[in-house]
Amino acid sequence: MSGTYTPNNQEEISQFIYDSYQANKPIEIVTFNSKPIGRSIQCSQTLDLRKNSGVIEYAPEELFIKVKAGTPLIDILEILKSKKQSLGFEPVDLGYLYNGKSNYGSIGGVTSCNLSGPRRFKSGALRDHLLGFTAVNGKGECIKSGGTVVKNVTGYDLSKLLAGSYGTLSVLTELVFKVVPEPEYAETFVLYDLNPKKAMEAFSVAMKTSLEVSGACFYSKKNTEFLRLNDIDSSKSVTAFRIEGPKKSVQERIVSLTKIFKEIKEKTVLELYQSNLFWKITANLECFSNSQNLVAKISLPPTETAGFISQFCEDDIMDINNKYFVDWAGGLVFLEINDKDPSYLILEKIKKFCKEKGSHITIIKANDNLRRTGFFVSTSDENIKILAAKIKQSFDPKSILNPGKIYAGI
Amino acid sequence: MSLIMPEPDQLTLDNSESIIADLRKISKNVLSEEEEKAVYETDGLSVHRQRPIAVVLPETTKEVSEVLKYCYRNNIKVVPRGAGTGLSGGALPLKDSVLVSLGKFNKILDVDFDNRCVITQPGVTNLSITGAVQHEGFYYAPDPSSQIACSIGGNISTNAGGVHSLKYGVTTNNVLGIEMVLIDGTIIRLGGKNLDPEGYDLLGIMTGSEGLLAVITEITVRILKKPQSVRAVLIGFNTNDDAGNCVAEIISSGIIPAGMEIMDKPLIIATDNFAKAGYPRDVEILLIVELDGTESEVDTLINRVLEIAKKNKASYNRASESDEERLRFWKGRKAAFTALGVISPDYICMDGSIPRKKLGNVLNEIASLSKKYGLSVANCFHAGDGNLHPLIMFDSNNAKELKKAEAFGADILKYCVKVGGVLTGEHGVGIEKRDLMCEMFNNDDIQQQLSLKKAFDEKSLLNPGKVFPVLHRCAEEGRVHIHKGKTRHPDLPRF
Ligand SMILES: Cc1cc2nc3c(=O)[nH]c(=O)nc-3n(C[C@H](O)[C@H](O)[C@H](O)COP(=O)(O)OP(=O)(O)OC[C@H]3O[C@@H](n4cnc5c(N)ncnc54)[C@H](O)[C@@H]3O)c2cc1C
Ligand SMILES: Cc1cc2nc3c(=O)[nH]c(=O)nc-3n(C[C@H](O)[C@H](O)[C@H](O)COP(=O)(O)OP(=O)(O)OC[C@H]3O[C@@H](n4cnc5c(N)ncnc54)[C@H](O)[C@@H]3O)c2cc1C
Repeated sequence: MSGTYTPNNQEEISQFIYDSYQANKPIEIVTFNSKPIGRSIQCSQTLDLRKNSGVIEYAPEELFIKVKAGTPLIDILEILKSKKQSLGFEPVDLGYLYNGKSNYGSIGGVTSCNLSGPRRFKSGALRDHLLGFTAVNGKGECIKSGGTVVKNVTGYDLSKLLAGSYGTLSVLTELVFKVVPEPEYAETFVLYDLNPKKAMEAFSVAMKTSLEVSGACFYSKKNTEFLRLNDIDSSKSVTAFRIEGPKKSVQERIVSLTKIFKEIKEKTVLELYQSNLFWKITANLECFSNSQNLVAKISLPPTETAGFISQFCEDDIMDINNKYFVDWAGGLVFLEINDKDPSYLILEKIKKFCKEKGSHITIIKANDNLRRTGFFVSTSDENIKILAAKIKQSFDPKSILNPGKIYAGI
Repeated sequence: MSLIMPEPDQLTLDNSESIIADLRKISKNVLSEEEEKAVYETDGLSVHRQRPIAVVLPETTKEVSEVLKYCYRNNIKVVPRGAGTGLSGGALPLKDSVLVSLGKFNKILDVDFDNRCVITQPGVTNLSITGAVQHEGFYYAPDPSSQIACSIGGNISTNAGGVHSLKYGVTTNNVLGIEMVLIDGTIIRLGGKNLDPEGYDLLGIMTGSEGLLAVITEITVRILKKPQSVRAVLIGFNTNDDAGNCVAEIISSGIIPAGMEIMDKPLIIATDNFAKAGYPRDVEILLIVELDGTESEVDTLINRVLEIAKKNKASYNRASESDEERLRFWKGRKAAFTALGVISPDYICMDGSIPRKKLGNVLNEIASLSKKYGLSVANCFHAGDGNLHPLIMFDSNNAKELKKAEAFGADILKYCVKVGGVLTGEHGVGIEKRDLMCEMFNNDDIQQQLSLKKAFDEKSLLNPGKVFPVLHRCAEEGRVHIHKGKTRHPDLPRF
């Protein structure tokens, strides 16, 4: 066996993996290959899952949807939209990042990366919305966990483990997601011209209110020109707060925000249409559209973010000037790293910062060289790596599923 | 009642004295007298009792690590314990085990409003976390009814839920990090004050692992700001079906209430007698719906809920006019278990989860099973998320009644699975539902979970005999669900 195999259903997937298990042959798992994420791997066989596609059951009144893992995410979003529902983790379209065009990829691919959008800090990550799954492990066995109900503690919560495992533990075949009602209405409150430190303070103030902010991001003044929205002045830094809910309640809360930030002169409010556009652009990382450099995401305790920015993103005195933006009310920084320095000294420095400040970095866009040789996640605890290796072995004893995708040698 | 547990290890039992002496070298809090151990012989599932070799109450993570390392080297079983309020027997000691109680890990370590989190030791009670942050208007969202007593470590281990989980999630959605000790003594820290730890989601797998994978010694949880306005409504119905339909319609209309609970007549009366909650006594089913947000939002939503209730033939409604009144509505519901204790000498509490639209169905099935077994039942449900707690009443002085009650409970859970639900929504599998696991999972599913267990604990020393059917039991009883008449890969190992 070599080349690409494109099975039609779970039975065929299971048979293929069983045969590969018997023959000790590793497999690279892809669906639409929209997310060249993780370390690159060399396998003679590719398992292409795009044909295992389609909605199995959608129960709007039960708030769940059950789909085959190869289903294009965009199809799922459209079906949910017809019932005014959506996926609570606010799916991210990384197509812009990789080649400048929309490409949500498959639900299986997105699940394997545990990708969540701007609403994450309020509504949870993708893994919080995955209710259950069926998958094929590295021995070709079909396994399942979870179900279609939200409250479930029957056995280990394997859904959590498989979300974000980058196809290294099992091949997902069916997924059940919790769905949520679409917000009735939304507006975005914008403060202009704050410096990063002030912006982080503004996040902290807003997050200590009961205004239920459901999006909070910051674009520095050098990274706003791509925000081509009528109602945004893109010559200044933008600190934005999203408020969602029934219209009257949204407007009352916007008034409250205006009062809280009354001493800040320059501000504006984006109404529904512009607001939705703004958060779509943000979720999809459009500021890095077609980037030719590395892009990393760094998850931090919000109080460490201002310090991180002055060290690695922007600092006039130190002449540091990298393209970046901050999401999750200060909890997440997306940073572009110049690809010209082949030693990636800055990555080592960021890793050190992360270790000291309880943070971590994940490279989401890398060149081929770094994907072959570099790190993808920054785990420095050897004991975690040992445990990760044992977990990998418990699902995939011969290490044939995406070997080395997350950690070299695992 | 006879309960099959893993065969006690004779060598360990013979060495009890020296094991106790060795443990005393590690920790100054080792209990070995019978009367001292009696306190720990059972948890909230009190029909089962067993004393361990010794109870250790370590005071530091290092002590936990040393105790575990010692047990690992000497092949001694370990059972972790929080506050012992668990309802599935998860903290039941084994005869040849050392019970590790986290009772002395009772300090909150850091309250961090800027990062909106609290770092705490696992023995701290659920309610104390809210207690430590409420002066700034914050709270910790998951609120099990046992919150005054249960420990946050136990909550993580059982993935506890509460009446507000519908909107704010269960424990797993509210934990940011933990420190844990593996059975060989290795100390590992996962996550922290930032979101979504990298690599495999070990935090996710630890949550709800019922003490089988590691001992949790420190926890970081996120805290939320209290909503501006909260109101609750009581809605009464005459039939199960009307109540069930009302719940389904509220959810499908796009409203996510902060909480939505159901009680049936026996509990309405029992809780109202007990807590003077002001419930209507002439309805068959009572629904409590709580809504939160800004004032105008809450008022709008209350009106929408009342409209839906009217459409579904509600015979009673009352919206809370003050926070005092709202809390009184909850006082009854939260005292459900205690109130029932007043009217029945013993009861067992079941915990299935079902699709919301099957609520009416399942209530009717429970009623007919109640007739079949000749045992009374009272029901309280986390209706919003389809999590039911039928309380089966019996008299433990009558040995036959306990057996009947357990069979009744098992039938309810099997019915839950049959209508698309699961065996346990929040109380965990423990020993109680262990032997029903094959109703939900097939051999490959269970085998996969067991291999994951081995990745953490290859000697199977940590809380053995819990969650999974004891070796071979599933297969021997012929209950392995064989897919399409054959097992798929007969050459692969089975349990
Ligand atoms: C239009 C296009 C543009 C591209 N641009 C680039 C580029 O700029 N640079 C570059 O290096 N490569 C590029 N590629 C190649 C690309 O990396 C891979 O083809 C891609 O990873 C596949 O698909 P997806 O969108 O469905 O999710 P995937 O990206 O397929 O998968 C994402 C992750 O999830 C895993 N996964 C997917 N489905 C499952 C499942 N059912 N169960 C378990 N795990 C699963 C995968 O193994 C992978 O780890 C491009 C490919 C295309 C088609
Ligand atoms: C009156 C009453 C009402 C209840 N209401 C609810 C409710 O509304 N929602 C709900 O979810 N539950 C409820 N419960 C069940 C129970 O309170 C929860 O399961 C709770 O999470 C158990 O916590 P505990 O500290 O008592 O744990 P224990 O009972 O001591 O232990 C529970 C399990 O966790 C393990 N464990 C405990 N601590 C640790 C640790 N630090 N490290 C590793 N493993 C550990 C034990 O081994 C055991 O398997 C209720 C119980 C009672 C008695």
